Amino acid sequence: MTFRTKVFLIFLITVLASVSLVAYGVTHYTQRAFEQMDAQRTQALEVQFKKEFEQRGEMVVQQVENIANAEVTLRMVLDLSRPNADASLYLHDANGAAQSHGLDFVEFVNSDGTLISSAQYPARVGYKNDWVTASKSWDSTGAFLKREELPDGVALSLTAVRTQTVGDKTIYIIGGRRLDKNFLATLELPPGMRALLYSNLDSSFNAISLTDANGPVSQGESFESLIEQIQKHPQDTTKTISWNNDPASAEAFHATPLKGRSGELLGVLLLGSSARELVLLQREILKIAAVVALAAIFIGLLVSWWVSRRITRPVEELADAARDVASGRWDTKIDVRGGDEIGQLAHAFNEMTGTLAAQKEKLVQTERVAAWRELARRLAHELRNPLFPLQITVENLQRARQLGPQQFQEVFSEATATLKAELSNLNTIVGRFSDFSKMPTPEFSKVSVNETLRDAIRLFEPQFTAVGKPPITTEYFLNESLPEIEADPDLLHKAFQNLVLNALDAMPAGGTLSLRSSDAGEIVRVEVSDTGKGLTPEECSRLFTPYYTTKQQGTGLGLAIVQSVVSDHHGTISVSSEEGHGTTFRIELPKRQSDAALKPKKDAPPTEPLSERAATASD
Amino acid sequence: MRSIKSVLRAAISAALALVAAAALQAAPPRFGGTLRVKLRSSRISLDPREWTPGSLNSSDSRKIASLVYDRLVTLNDYGQFQPALATEWTHDATFKTWHFKLRAGVHFSDGSALTPALAAAALQSTSGKNFEIAATEAGLTIHSLQPAPDILEQLASGNDFIFRAQLDGKLLGTGPFLVAEAVPEAPAEANPLATKPARIKLLANENCWAGRPFVDVVEVTLGEPALRQLLDLQVNRAEIAEITPDLVRKGREEGLRIWNSAPLVLVALRFDDALAAPASDSLHEALWLAIDRDTMANVLLQRQAQLAAALLPQWLTGYAFLFESPMNLPRAKELRASFPAGVAGAEQALRLHVDAPGDLFKLMGERVAVNARQANLLVQVAGVGSANNTAAPSDGLHLFAWHYDSLSPRTELETLLRQMPDGSDLGANAADPEQLFAQERRLLEEHRILPLVVLPEYVGLRANVHNWNGSPWGDWRLADVWLEAEDTSSGKAAGSTQKENMPARTPGANQ
Repeated sequence: MTFRTKVFLIFLITVLASVSLVAYGVTHYTQRAFEQMDAQRTQALEVQFKKEFEQRGEMVVQQVENIANAEVTLRMVLDLSRPNADASLYLHDANGAAQSHGLDFVEFVNSDGTLISSAQYPARVGYKNDWVTASKSWDSTGAFLKREELPDGVALSLTAVRTQTVGDKTIYIIGGRRLDKNFLATLELPPGMRALLYSNLDSSFNAISLTDANGPVSQGESFESLIEQIQKHPQDTTKTISWNNDPASAEAFHATPLKGRSGELLGVLLLGSSARELVLLQREILKIAAVVALAAIFIGLLVSWWVSRRITRPVEELADAARDVASGRWDTKIDVRGGDEIGQLAHAFNEMTGTLAAQKEKLVQTERVAAWRELARRLAHELRNPLFPLQITVENLQRARQLGPQQFQEVFSEATATLKAELSNLNTIVGRFSDFSKMPTPEFSKVSVNETLRDAIRLFEPQFTAVGKPPITTEYFLNESLPEIEADPDLLHKAFQNLVLNALDAMPAGGTLSLRSSDAGEIVRVEVSDTGKGLTPEECSRLFTPYYTTKQQGTGLGLAIVQSVVSDHHGTISVSSEEGHGTTFRIELPKRQSDAALKPKKDAPPTEPLSERAATASD
Repeated sequence: MRSIKSVLRAAISAALALVAAAALQAAPPRFGGTLRVKLRSSRISLDPREWTPGSLNSSDSRKIASLVYDRLVTLNDYGQFQPALATEWTHDATFKTWHFKLRAGVHFSDGSALTPALAAAALQSTSGKNFEIAATEAGLTIHSLQPAPDILEQLASGNDFIFRAQLDGKLLGTGPFLVAEAVPEAPAEANPLATKPARIKLLANENCWAGRPFVDVVEVTLGEPALRQLLDLQVNRAEIAEITPDLVRKGREEGLRIWNSAPLVLVALRFDDALAAPASDSLHEALWLAIDRDTMANVLLQRQAQLAAALLPQWLTGYAFLFESPMNLPRAKELRASFPAGVAGAEQALRLHVDAPGDLFKLMGERVAVNARQANLLVQVAGVGSANNTAAPSDGLHLFAWHYDSLSPRTELETLLRQMPDGSDLGANAADPEQLFAQERRLLEEHRILPLVVLPEYVGLRANVHNWNGSPWGDWRLADVWLEAEDTSSGKAAGSTQKENMPARTPGANQ
């Protein structure tokens, strides 16, 4: 993952996290605010209900008192106090009183509890109402909730009882108003709230008994569990009811039990608060957050692209420069912009490459001097060997003048032969150096690596089994299906020959020479291993340096030539060695040369400096 | 001496007052005026063939129809049959064949003559298959498959009017009035949601064979609620109005003239369940014993009804007093306790359908439910039905009102049973009072019909209505009624047309 991607992702995640955090915070606090507001509204509505309940109760009490004190009631009590009074005369009086006083329920009850007249249930006249005669303090009792029997069912009533007495005769006047949807309609409900009333008048839950200001509530059965909970434990309870899968349909209901005179549960007031506004607001917040997030992502993309570009461009330049340095252009410089960390880094990089270039130049010069010294030493060494016999021979010839002619002739003949041999030797040495300086440009053609390797080995086979020498065994691990590669067969042969010769020199006590070839995709790998004494790491690092040798008689050009050939074939050579366990040279050659490489020699670029080849070979 | 003079003076004053009052009472009948009649029924039919036996609606229809059509015979207040369109009648020894001689010179309101064929056709259409009616030269012959000694009672009551059907379907009669206008119910102009009551306007038949009626016009307004009718009487918007029993006491307290008939409406319960005996028997009997008829009659109906233990009233049969309707709540509870599981009225409420119209019948239904609850019987009032007594399709308990239409006990009981869902039949020879009594007792002991109360008809009359002569069985005889002039100061009867030379209508006059 690139630095730019990382910067972009970090920026993006930061933006999203910020927006999410803000959205969550706003939603959370909004919900809390709504809940608090709901609680306040519910409480206010409950207070309003209680106030309305009390006012209506006082009104009922007043109306019942008015009926009790009406002249017609006094006359009725007076008439009924007479012996053999006909109570049937007053059958419809309760109905008249109810209509004239605006009450839903009015009943006149005789002193013995017998119902004289009933507005709501006239068919019950003649039956006893013992509960009303059980109390003596009706005139000081306020209105209360009562279960009212009706011909077509039961109803919830806000009832008051008053008495009227003439002489010894007392009549009970029971009046009430129905507590139903009309009562709920008097409540001023805040938006999103509704008030329901459940008349707990049946033995089990009855959805029909649940009403709001418009009548029976649809889906009333959803309240069954809440009502049953109140029936078991008559105390304030809150429950949320979801009407469908949409969370906006949910309503939180606060249930308050309504009790009668004896504490029996007669009704339940349900104040519902819709979650619609909250959910819609939350959705709006989330929608805005989503839009903001999208905008932030878009802006973030632009900004992060700009920022990351601003941040990573110097870094990329630095990386490119580092890559250039790695590829050898040690004098690479980058632009220094600003004085920030990146600028300081660029400045430091420039200083570093400057130092590296200087050191490289210094090193090159040092190596060049060392190479010249080595060359001089080697030349001196190589040339001293034939010169010393020449000097001895010449001194012998000078001394031989004092000898007899025959002896002189013998000495002379021997001396000239020696001189000729040594001069030839000198010529060979010079020629070898000359050859190295004139390494030919490869001429590529289709070459079988295995065959070339076998040809190189074949030249040395007599030495493997030479008498008086420790035997050397060869082992072949050649991949016979290896394809032909594009290479210069002569140079390749020469390279292999030098490797084999190097291996033979490494095994003066005999050993095993292993040859291995393999197909590695676009390249062909060749390994030449010996079981000699091996090399030290320091020797390994300098092995391909020209004129460096670990042998007494070597010129130090063999492996340099190998490295030069491999490099001219755009391949690589490496060495691995372990002291006491032998050395392995590994050459990797491309199967196909580039078009540029296949051009004629004249167009070929100059060969790499020796030092660079050594660096490549030592990698 | 002085006191003797004072006494003498007072006696003379009293005598003069009595003479003046008598003179006033004996004032001659006055022709003219519009008689405004208010009825509760919202729709009536003047076609006897459409009437439903026993229904309150048909009873009102019959009252108005009797102004337009005549019968062959009538019954006077002394129980004597009077000639009407038939002047003579004879029968054979078996009472199966009756011969009636038709009155001559009688014409329908369009002037066409009444013929034996038309009379036979009209009677055949209303009497059904019980009789074969044939026209003769001077009258008609009625042949019954069973002995019909009570055929005169039948002809003097019920649907047996003589009429002629015109081509357009309208019926013409020979009665004292003819139909001038029949306005059906229509939306009110002021409030389209409300309906103007239907009206029927009848004009005096100047050429009636029995003489011209006293009033010129009878204007009948239908669909008037009971309390509204009472108010109409009080504020001079009606001369005659029906009064419900619960308003009778109030009307009398307020000084209204209220006439009542003999008990004409039976209020009873009917079981239409399909329960198998003995469960149904126990339920029927338990309910029978649980009902407090006394409170129903004396409190709910304000002492304007009589307890009913029989299906037919005492005035019609003479033996109704032999039946009893005891209330026995402990026994009812015992019976209830013996109910097997699943019986309606025990675990699940027995639905009580109130088939009669009006709040009064609904109240009675509710009282039945309250009484039943005292015996641990669950009865729930399901709804209030129409005025027609056709058996409601729903099972359960029905509270219905039955108007006695016939003067023949056998016919009445037979008709009543025929209207019941199981369609019971009295069988032959039920004309014998003892057999009729036995049949009725058997029916009552089955407890499929539980009589509750019988109600008279109450009619409120304005003070200017004279010569009201309603029959105990509910005939209003409006042709005999005359109206006193309203505006005496001007010496002119408002809206009246004095017919000095017209003969006074004499009911039953056949000459």
